[in-house]
Amino acid sequence: MLFEGNDYNFDMAYYSLPGMPTNMEKMGSKNILSPYEGFLRGNMFKDEYDPYKNLTYLKLKPKTNQEKLLYEIMSLCFAINDLNLYLDLNPNDMESFNLLKSYIKEKNKLTDTYINQYGPLVIDETTGSKYEWLNDWPWDSKRGDMYV
Amino acid sequence: MFKYVKHLNYPINIRKKDLRMAKYLLTQFGGANGELAAAMRYFSQKFTMPDDKGKALLNDIATEELGHCEMICTMVKQLTQNATIKELEEAGLGSYYADHNKGIYPTDASGVPFTATYFAVTADPLADLMEDMAAEQKARAVYENLIDLTNDEDILGPLLFLRQREVVHFNRFKELYEYYVKKGY
Repeated sequence: MLFEGNDYNFDMAYYSLPGMPTNMEKMGSKNILSPYEGFLRGNMFKDEYDPYKNLTYLKLKPKTNQEKLLYEIMSLCFAINDLNLYLDLNPNDMESFNLLKSYIKEKNKLTDTYINQYGPLVIDETTGSKYEWLNDWPWDSKRGDMYV
Repeated sequence: MFKYVKHLNYPINIRKKDLRMAKYLLTQFGGANGELAAAMRYFSQKFTMPDDKGKALLNDIATEELGHCEMICTMVKQLTQNATIKELEEAGLGSYYADHNKGIYPTDASGVPFTATYFAVTADPLADLMEDMAAEQKARAVYENLIDLTNDEDILGPLLFLRQREVVHFNRFKELYEYYVKKGY
């Protein structure tokens, strides 16, 4: 099978968040995964993760530094969104709330780096000396080997 | 108000043209259990949720579903890139080409256009949330059917992600539903 034995086959070399705990087993009673692990699974909560058959998830293979940085930002955006939904129903869970704030802080830091190097992701993040909104629409794959 | 963020919810880089899967995948944009119906369902229902938890959850999931519409459309776009008219006709997309060329139009897998009758708004929070839970289960089932129909990893990765989101949304809606039952709504 395509995914056999692939359950925990993500490559942390692709991704490491400075200051983020790597042992997610110890992150609270709800078993919240790291942003990257949660992102790959589509679910930040380990005890809620429910794969289809023996198909789990694929690891991402960024081809450029830009893509790698973008995937890190996307991971954090995903983590923020999933905690957002949880906190909508559990607003007094301070542990999750503090985690949300740490992800937001990290996301903003990485986004600043991205904006400086590649242009804005939201129009009102525009800071450079020229109009860069026209680059890189997400539905256009950047891979040179596609459409074979 | 909405702001556009220039990245997908999950990366999509499809290398291999596959018109058969493009035709099937379109249903998760414009089909009865698709992402557009989900986004419009929760967006419309949020205005009559009885408390702030309900308003927040419906609003935030509706917003995420718009991102999922973009993912499905991106997949269809990449799967049909550089397809010839002959290839489209052979894949059963000749009539689609007649109406839409390679434009991305919300239909189901059989070409039936999207309609607002795919979702309901009753302003009864229990009725609306029960529909939302069913919608998430049906969307999950359709994602599983689509996953069964391909072995292309470039398609499977995003589909597995999207399927898992249905699982999560179902759980959140169920938690809100049970909370509202307890509160006597």
